[in-house]
Amino acid sequence: MADAEVSLSPALRPLHLSPSHSAPPPPPASSSSPTTFSCPSSPSSASSSSSSSSSSSCSESSSDCPVHHHHHHHHLRPQLQLPPPPHSEQPSSPSASPRSSSPSGSIGSTGSLGSSASEGIGSSGMSSGADARGPSPPLDIISEDAMEMDLGVDQEVALKACQEVLLKVKLQNREVPEHPDTNAPPSARPESSSLLSAASASKQSWLLRLFESKLFDVSMAISYLYKSKEPGVQAYIGNRLFSFPDSEVDFYLPQLLNMYVHMDTEVGDAIRPYLIYRCTGGITFSLLTAWLLGAYSSDMHISTQRHSRGTKLRKLILSDELKPSASSFSPGDPTPDSPTPGEGFVSPSRRTHQRSKSDATTAGSGPGSGLRRTGSNPKGEAVHEEPERLRPQRELVKSLLGIGKRLATLPTKEQKTHRLISELSMLNHKLPARVWLPTAERQHHVCRIPNTQAVVLNSKDKAPYLIYVEVLECESFETSPVPVRIPETRIRSARSAENLDCGVAAHRAGSFSTVPNYDNDDEAWATDDIGQLQVEVEAKTSSSDNISQFSVDSITSLESKEPIFIAAGDIRRRLSENLAHTPTTFRRDPEDPSAVALKEPWQEKVRRIREGSPYGHLLNWRLLSVIVKCGDDLRQELLAYQVLRQLQSIWQQERVPLWIKPYKILVMSLDSGMIEPVLNAVSLHQVRKQSQLSLLDYFLQEHGSFTTEAFLTAQRNFVQSCAGYSLICYLLQVKDRHNGNILLDSEGHIIHIDFGFILSSSPRNLGFETSAFKLTAEFVDVMGGLDGDMFIYYKMLMLQGLIAARKHMEKVLQIVEIMQQGSHLPCFHGSSTIRGLKERFHMSLTEEQLQLLVEQLVDGSMRSITTKLYDSFQYVTNGIM
Amino acid sequence: MSQVEKKAGLLRRTSSSKKPLKEKVVLMYDEIFAKEDPAKNNPRFWDELFLMKVNLEYLESKLESVDGEEVQRIQDNINSLFHHCVQALGEEHQIKVVNALQTLCALFRGVHQKNKSASGFDIINMLMGFDKAEQRMKDLMERLDSLLCGDGSESLKSLCLKLLLCLVTVTDNISQNTILEYVMINSIFEAILQILSDVSSRGQHGYDAVVLLALLVNYRKYESVNPYIVKLSIVDDEPTLDVSMLQYKDKEEENQGGFFSTLTSMVGSMFIADADEKLSVQTNEAILLALYEAVHLNRNFITVLAQSHPEMDIPTTPTTPTPTTPTTPLGTTPPSLDMMNNPELPLDPNLQTSNLLITFLKYASIVMQDTKDEHRLNSARLCLIILTCIAEDQYADAFLHDDNMNFRVNLHRMPMRHRKKAVDKNIPSRPLVCASTNLLRHHSLCFLCRRCVQIIHKLLCYQKKCRIRLHYTWRELWSALINLLKFLLSNETTLLAKHNIFQLALLVVNLFNMFITYGDTFLPTSNSYDELYYEIVRMHQVFDNLYCMVLRVSTNTGQWKEAASKVTHALVNVRAIVNHFNPKIESYAAVNHISQLSEEQVLEVVRSNYDTLTLKLQDGLDQFERYSEQPKEAAFFKELVRSISLNVRKNVSLNTLSQDVLLKEFSTIS
Repeated sequence: MADAEVSLSPALRPLHLSPSHSAPPPPPASSSSPTTFSCPSSPSSASSSSSSSSSSSCSESSSDCPVHHHHHHHHLRPQLQLPPPPHSEQPSSPSASPRSSSPSGSIGSTGSLGSSASEGIGSSGMSSGADARGPSPPLDIISEDAMEMDLGVDQEVALKACQEVLLKVKLQNREVPEHPDTNAPPSARPESSSLLSAASASKQSWLLRLFESKLFDVSMAISYLYKSKEPGVQAYIGNRLFSFPDSEVDFYLPQLLNMYVHMDTEVGDAIRPYLIYRCTGGITFSLLTAWLLGAYSSDMHISTQRHSRGTKLRKLILSDELKPSASSFSPGDPTPDSPTPGEGFVSPSRRTHQRSKSDATTAGSGPGSGLRRTGSNPKGEAVHEEPERLRPQRELVKSLLGIGKRLATLPTKEQKTHRLISELSMLNHKLPARVWLPTAERQHHVCRIPNTQAVVLNSKDKAPYLIYVEVLECESFETSPVPVRIPETRIRSARSAENLDCGVAAHRAGSFSTVPNYDNDDEAWATDDIGQLQVEVEAKTSSSDNISQFSVDSITSLESKEPIFIAAGDIRRRLSENLAHTPTTFRRDPEDPSAVALKEPWQEKVRRIREGSPYGHLLNWRLLSVIVKCGDDLRQELLAYQVLRQLQSIWQQERVPLWIKPYKILVMSLDSGMIEPVLNAVSLHQVRKQSQLSLLDYFLQEHGSFTTEAFLTAQRNFVQSCAGYSLICYLLQVKDRHNGNILLDSEGHIIHIDFGFILSSSPRNLGFETSAFKLTAEFVDVMGGLDGDMFIYYKMLMLQGLIAARKHMEKVLQIVEIMQQGSHLPCFHGSSTIRGLKERFHMSLTEEQLQLLVEQLVDGSMRSITTKLYDSFQYVTNGIM
Repeated sequence: MSQVEKKAGLLRRTSSSKKPLKEKVVLMYDEIFAKEDPAKNNPRFWDELFLMKVNLEYLESKLESVDGEEVQRIQDNINSLFHHCVQALGEEHQIKVVNALQTLCALFRGVHQKNKSASGFDIINMLMGFDKAEQRMKDLMERLDSLLCGDGSESLKSLCLKLLLCLVTVTDNISQNTILEYVMINSIFEAILQILSDVSSRGQHGYDAVVLLALLVNYRKYESVNPYIVKLSIVDDEPTLDVSMLQYKDKEEENQGGFFSTLTSMVGSMFIADADEKLSVQTNEAILLALYEAVHLNRNFITVLAQSHPEMDIPTTPTTPTPTTPTTPLGTTPPSLDMMNNPELPLDPNLQTSNLLITFLKYASIVMQDTKDEHRLNSARLCLIILTCIAEDQYADAFLHDDNMNFRVNLHRMPMRHRKKAVDKNIPSRPLVCASTNLLRHHSLCFLCRRCVQIIHKLLCYQKKCRIRLHYTWRELWSALINLLKFLLSNETTLLAKHNIFQLALLVVNLFNMFITYGDTFLPTSNSYDELYYEIVRMHQVFDNLYCMVLRVSTNTGQWKEAASKVTHALVNVRAIVNHFNPKIESYAAVNHISQLSEEQVLEVVRSNYDTLTLKLQDGLDQFERYSEQPKEAAFFKELVRSISLNVRKNVSLNTLSQDVLLKEFSTIS
């Protein structure tokens, strides 16, 4: 165990080998670098690399094996719930780990040690049956029942098949006698097993052992899926996907789908069962898959597209036939009488009859009704619940995108803003509903969109906009009841109702008697709104003040017996102090409405919106935000996000303190999607325009003088993020780096956004921006000048980052390479995209040479006048400073 | 006696063929007004009656002409007629229903016409019979309710509403209409709401329904519990409210379109002369009243006020007809139905989003332009009352001050010689409170200035409490307020005869006191505080004169003594400022040998001399009297409702639905 722990954290030395790394193809040039470990499947490098690897599972040294076996159990906790095995032969498992009693483990050992021959025959018979359906299930067969059956059988058969394969392998390769095929991945159709066995025995054992090892992660699986031409391997991996945690596979969903759409039938068939299975399980996965499939299929020619696998699967998903069977999974729809007590919903008992009636009648009329509020309407719900599994969310997305399209036609920012606000207010009428923001981490229902907070973002001809969304977190957005709608003025209305109701009752009793003067006027307005507010506000600000408060008290207490005198100078001073102490806000600029909204600290905004929301008192209330983009292809952004995420985790793993902020991208179609906004960040352009200060002076204004802790922290953040993004910009060749595309957050980090021009594409092909990345004199000033420690630190970080990244190059390359398949994206223009990317990792350079390279890159970027030139070009054309 | 009469009748019927032939229905009416039970000889009398086309004029005039003694005699028959009318409402035969409704109208009107002075009880007795009244009215209201809520003909619903309007407005003073007591007991509030929440019916009957509701709410609102008030106050269903009020807004906007296009083409005075416009001013009174009741009674409604929706820019060419259809894409369809997938929202670049509040402000700015006419004065007053209610509501205040919600509000001002017409396009987009303040500032010299100043005070109190620093050029407000003081001073004698001008002066001076002592909490810049002093010092003469005046009045014994002395006390800070800075400025000029100091120089003097100035903190500056309808406004509303009632009564035309139309409609149904 201890050994394993060590080998899992290899980030101690930069050059220490990371065990979780696999690189099927040999590295370019026969590098002496020990960082690569290539897989036996590529014979050319197999022998050399395996011998050089110190902790690889493929090592011959059997002493490693137990270690890995322990981990085996941990790592490959079976994702599938396999039938509980007979526990009789439990002790045969060699593992000492307490978790070793996992069901699949015992099954495996049962199989291997028990009556091997007969079982092998039996299972092969069974699995061949599964095989008939497995590889190419006809589309039209997949109906609800068929699916269920398919999956049910599939798991069992897969398990059996696995055992069989492993058995055969073992029989053939006696040199690994103790192989405790625990946790046999549920997989391997006989077809694959026969293919495997047909191949050279030793090679098979390598591959199989790799596949079974703890090192075999999703990244490797994807890689093999993409590279291997052997249907057996593909099918095996397709099944193996089931065993990985959902979240890990989700990261590679774009790759999986792109392969599904653009690669040959075998790959598609291997992936398909997994996709179907996941779609059945969740609305979120279904929709994400459908959207991506649509986007990735669009690069095909229109005639092939219509009949392509991707389009068909997309249709199948959107037809909503892939849903869990009613018995196992029934999204209990809430009736208005039974709101979840735990979530503190207000009972909608006072809803008038007319309303629910009208709701019911509109149900199902036109696509808009899909997003109808569910809580209040039992009748409509009962009827329409079934086909509406995906619909509310699709409607939400549709209407959000529709708003974006309409906004684009309006000429001014101001009109756009007004339009946006009013359209969103209409949307609000249908919330809460069973809808969610796909960019969020946690399960929730959207309950309200504070429409007045929405802002239109800066864009020349499109109209991306930012909305804030109030959500209520829940167990599962699919099954938890949808929150009940609370009217905007819930609390206020309650009082007048109760008071006046009793009056009616009294009145009704005696029909003609005149009820003594009932002054409803006083009653209705007795509670002083402003009075209440005053208490609140003053409680909050009491610490900071001052005569003004004092006077309020004095009205009641002192009765002006003794006059109070104040100096006019004090009032004037307080005014200027108050003005100075309010956190620096940006001026409202009708041409740039987002500046103010983005400058407001997030916590402040959350507090403010929560106070104004009728749902704000609920404990599970959260505020999210999302950018809706129409008319832009976000697939490149998604690619960039994946690369950034990958590099981020590589740097984390290698303990290099580079800071980057990948923001989530949701591709919804070829030309639309959503973006997770970076919180507490404004663009450098906005900073400069609003503050009229140099970047350094702005840092001093925001964080304090040079020696303060706050400034130093901010400076460090700035340097670490600069280094991170410099590398990103270099590796990905991110272009179009003007100040509108670089954000600065409240902690001093810079964040690059807009990856519209990466890899092989450059804006307008003007040949601008030849520098590796953007490093202006201003940036250097913030870092403390060319000779400062921080600047040296910056360069050191870049070197470390580059070394770390290069060690895991394959993981990065793989993401890009798979997406290139069938793609017409401009970033893949030309034939040398991947080669160029690979070359920028400079695998062949020594560390000293790398250091020199970094120096050169930094130097070049700083000297480069093109950055400056490009900025002024941007200013002339787009008004960005 | 009866025998004789009957004979005469018989004789007439048989022999006098020369006389112009009477309609059958008229003959039947005559039978009712005879002593005998008309059904005695003809058991199918009532059945037949409701198959006849109603002759409203004849029936009404007949009822009016009945003299005192006869009333007793024919009461049974009238009761019977009423009873059968109510019965007929339940008939399947629609013609009968229509005729019954119209007959009921005639009955209500005729009986009231006849008994103008009679007590409500007598009228009830005559119509229904006192012992049966409760049951009859219950039946009537239930039938009407089911007609209104059912899915029957729209014309029928319209007629039902007309009948109700007719019933509600038969007396000048709605509170004297005793029959309404039964309408209170048997509430049709839900039916009205349903009418308003249904798409198609809202379009057709929205106006009638809203007016009816507004009137019903005003029935004995001060003396008893009016269930309509109660119910209106607790409607919390946003879409319903929204729906009803958006519709209602459409109405207003339609009328306004008329105003606007007229306005741009004609000058203000001509537009008064226009008879049609005058009418619409009066119609708007009813709508404004409804808006008031909604704002005043229902707090949920405030949120509806703030709901935005696209708005058509008012066409500037006078020839352009009022935009009717395009203005209503949102109003005519309930948002819950089609907003999500309604891509056809008009996408005109000239289209600006608006909301009820903006429309209201614009409307108010028009109404308040000319308050010579009584109706317009009433409307303007009502507008300001509504604005008062809004200013007191926290939610509305928050909305008004929302920095994120900026609107251009085109306020209309009287074109004057010295004031060029504002160029519409250049109005900056600002939070709505700026528009409100502008509106109030523009009208600080009119009859309603006191209300304007009060509302400004309320808004300032909100800003002070919430520390909202509005980017508003307060200077404009200050000079408007000083002008108001000037006006009071120059018209002292005439004004004092009618008004307590000291109360107003006190309000104005206290507004200045708020700026002086609490300016640190809500002024947008430090410079604006200096400007305040500059403005006071610059206009010190006005304050000096005011001080002299109030001092004079307060030293004399008279009814204004106390009021005036309050102003004297309130002026203490302003006077301190004037007395402190004037010598400083003079000496600065003397030292530097400048005859005329520039503004910047004065501001410099002000800035450098704050520290030697001591101010007295005054109490209760941020206290205000909350709006209360009773007792202050009660008389106003009573009059307003009376005027609306008269107007509605005059305009409720049962004949709008001609029998032909109905027949045509029903021929297909029955």
